[in-house]
Amino acid sequence: MRIEARDITVRLNGTTILDRVGFAAGPGELVGLIGPNGAGKSTLLSVLARLRVPDAGSVLYDAVAADNVDARKLAQWLAFLTQSGRVEWPLTVERVVALGRLPYSSGFGASDAARDEAAISRAMRAAEIEQFAGRSIETLSGGERTRVLLARALAVEADMLLADEPTAALDPYHQLEVMELLARTVRDGAGVVVVLHDLSLAARFCDRLVLLTRGRVVAEGRPDQVLTEERIAEIYGVSSVLGAHEGQPFVVPWRRLPKGSTAGGAE
Amino acid sequence: MRRAEVSYPWLLALLGGLALVLFALSLAIGYAPLDLPAAGADALGGRETIGALVLVELRLPRALLGLLVGFTLGLSGAVMQGFLRNPLAEPGVVGVSGGAALGAVVVFYSGLAATSSLLLPLGGIVAALLVGGLLFAVAGRGMSTTTLILAGVAINSLAGALISLTLNLAPNPYAAMEIMFWLMGSLADRSFSHVWVAIAPMIVGWMLLLSTSRALDALSLGEETARTLGIGMRRVRAAVVGGVALSVGAATAVTGVIGFVGLVVPHLLRPFVAHRPGRLLFASGLGGASLTLAADIAVRLIPSRPELQLGVVTAIIGAPFLFSLVWRYRRLER
Amino acid sequence: MTVSRIFSAVVGCAAAGLFLGILTGPAASMADDERAAPERVVSMNLCADELLLRLADPDQIVSVTYLGQNPDQSTVADKAARYPANHGLAEEILRLSPDLVVAGRYTTRTTVDFLRRVGEPVLELEVPTTLPEVEAQIRMLGDRLGQSERAEAMVAEIAGAFVGPATPDDDAPTAVVFAPNGFTVGAGSLVDTVIEAAGLRNLGAEQDLGRYRRLSLEQLARLKPDVLILNAEETSPALAYEVLHHPILDRLPKAPLVVSLSPRLWTCAGPALVDALALLRQAAETIETHRRAGQ
Repeated sequence: MRIEARDITVRLNGTTILDRVGFAAGPGELVGLIGPNGAGKSTLLSVLARLRVPDAGSVLYDAVAADNVDARKLAQWLAFLTQSGRVEWPLTVERVVALGRLPYSSGFGASDAARDEAAISRAMRAAEIEQFAGRSIETLSGGERTRVLLARALAVEADMLLADEPTAALDPYHQLEVMELLARTVRDGAGVVVVLHDLSLAARFCDRLVLLTRGRVVAEGRPDQVLTEERIAEIYGVSSVLGAHEGQPFVVPWRRLPKGSTAGGAE
Repeated sequence: MRRAEVSYPWLLALLGGLALVLFALSLAIGYAPLDLPAAGADALGGRETIGALVLVELRLPRALLGLLVGFTLGLSGAVMQGFLRNPLAEPGVVGVSGGAALGAVVVFYSGLAATSSLLLPLGGIVAALLVGGLLFAVAGRGMSTTTLILAGVAINSLAGALISLTLNLAPNPYAAMEIMFWLMGSLADRSFSHVWVAIAPMIVGWMLLLSTSRALDALSLGEETARTLGIGMRRVRAAVVGGVALSVGAATAVTGVIGFVGLVVPHLLRPFVAHRPGRLLFASGLGGASLTLAADIAVRLIPSRPELQLGVVTAIIGAPFLFSLVWRYRRLER
Repeated sequence: MTVSRIFSAVVGCAAAGLFLGILTGPAASMADDERAAPERVVSMNLCADELLLRLADPDQIVSVTYLGQNPDQSTVADKAARYPANHGLAEEILRLSPDLVVAGRYTTRTTVDFLRRVGEPVLELEVPTTLPEVEAQIRMLGDRLGQSERAEAMVAEIAGAFVGPATPDDDAPTAVVFAPNGFTVGAGSLVDTVIEAAGLRNLGAEQDLGRYRRLSLEQLARLKPDVLILNAEETSPALAYEVLHHPILDRLPKAPLVVSLSPRLWTCAGPALVDALALLRQAAETIETHRRAGQ
């Protein structure tokens, strides 16, 4: 399943959050959504997941208009990982992951139990959380919790996975762990759209980056094409050190630039 | 999880068995000794003995109402807690029951209930719908425990005051005593006519509430994630508000406010269903039926005449429980 | 603590003394002259209304209670309607400057206490439970009002109606009173006296019902009374009446004769008792007739 968004405009209380944004992603690629705070990344992600109806523009799933796609079908096609990552009750890890199979069950249970079981254990294996299957989610650390919630999203076995800042609040070890997991998911055939703040992670793991600022797409393409020193300075308002290690690019933000010296600094 | 999966049918069987035992006890306990088997045989044989009469006309409707109203309260509490993701949500605490009682009071004392007995539950349902709608309108903008409790305090105080006002305006020499009935609930001297007017809306309400089971599971990951799992929030909200209003509204219209059942029961049973909100529903209904029947047996055994209001017993059990929960969440929210 | 209490007591006494000094002068002098028939009589009690309106001259009365004007509760509502109503409040009573206030022994206690304190002449009516007590009370009030002849006539009317066999035997038809909220009437009450005078055995007097005299429907079903006296005047909806409409009452064993008797007929010790008695005698006769036909 391919997602395509055309001319998406979203306004909130008179402020334009997204301004005629176009976007497309499909299976087999890891797309990073980057940009300063307030650029509209999370809003775009929720429009792509049909969580928010845009004020103008259209979203297409496999060329079918979003309104014409059945909710259950969409839930099977598209998995969504929110930023908050809250779990309201002290459920066991396995129960949390199993919630990813809800799009396949009907009102009163009847679903393919064997297929669900298989998907749940595949997701847990992929996220390497099998050892805590029976533990309560409340007893886990932040990194373990993120992996559990990621496994929950993987258990949907959707064509597309949309993840909103899954590496936020994680230490470097767990950040790498999550990014490697997303990369593996892409190798297994799914498509991933991920909102990231860490430009090095974005540069290193993503196949393609979309740079948003003030509700508009300002650059799109391979990481090395999008993340230039000048553009980072212009959009983020910082100077940066760009380099490569083991053939892969990295970006280190270095110093805030004086206000007004760039066209669009971070707010 | 596997262990929970196996024990779930057992849990339901156990709770169902408990409710049945208490139902039978409720039939056996009354204000005069009754040879239950003989009375049962007479009733089934169509012999109009005193035993059969007492069993069929007095104890059966009372026990049935205990079962139905208790199931309603336990189920509604579990659904509201799951939906609002707040362990303090309960029809009594948040004021839905109080509102329903007010609706029933207005219909009853204005004389409307005399024109058609079906108007009584309708009054309760409409008022419960209004309170529920109001509450969820507030909850839609995110509801902390504090907000929920404060909203409940406000609605309950207003409903209590308006019940007193309505009763005092009504030319009724028994007002003081009847305010107690509406605010504290009772199953005393209820008849099959009360069962018949309330049973249909209660069961329709249960169906709506039980249909939210999947959605409540999904909601344990928050509303956004639930929606991406294919849950239609508008439909779920309508089912919750409608189901609570129908079942609690009808129940309260015939028994008055019976508080705290919906608070205590889901909380006690949650560990036994591995905290799964969906699985809690039926278990909570059965548990609510058991607690209500047990409390109603207690009011008949406690040597106080006229008998205590049922809500007095459930409040004595439930209010300290509420306090301990508030205490715990006060610490968590800091 | 102690000092302040003494101080407040002293101030309180002084204030009360001042108050009494102002208000008691004329009233006290009137109280001295006991034999003169009062000319401004106020009733503060429904039962007092009923006797007063029948015994006194119309221009002797200045006010009756609002209850006495309510035809649902009073047997003298039409007569009572001619007078301004009071609600048993001290201010209302004082403003009328009565020379006799007739009150009930158990009602509006705070007002009665206040009126006594300020020296108003208050006559309290007891709650009689036997026929001689009823008669004595009527005579007492008649004498006080200077209307002894009317009182004697009323006593004669009541006594005449109550002539008959004193206590019903064990074979007598049985009756039980069922009142709102499931209350019944036991021994040692005026109602019990009337039931017995009608030749009925009051089953409520034989049951051990505790202090509250509440009869559960289960107990009622077991009593198997010949006559079920539904003692309610259902003027407005109340839960209290629901128990009187419980379906079990239509299916009681032996299908008792149901007599609806308005409480206003026998709440007060007055001539309305005669009507209550007549209703119950009629019921007793119906039962006896059925019994004879059955034999």
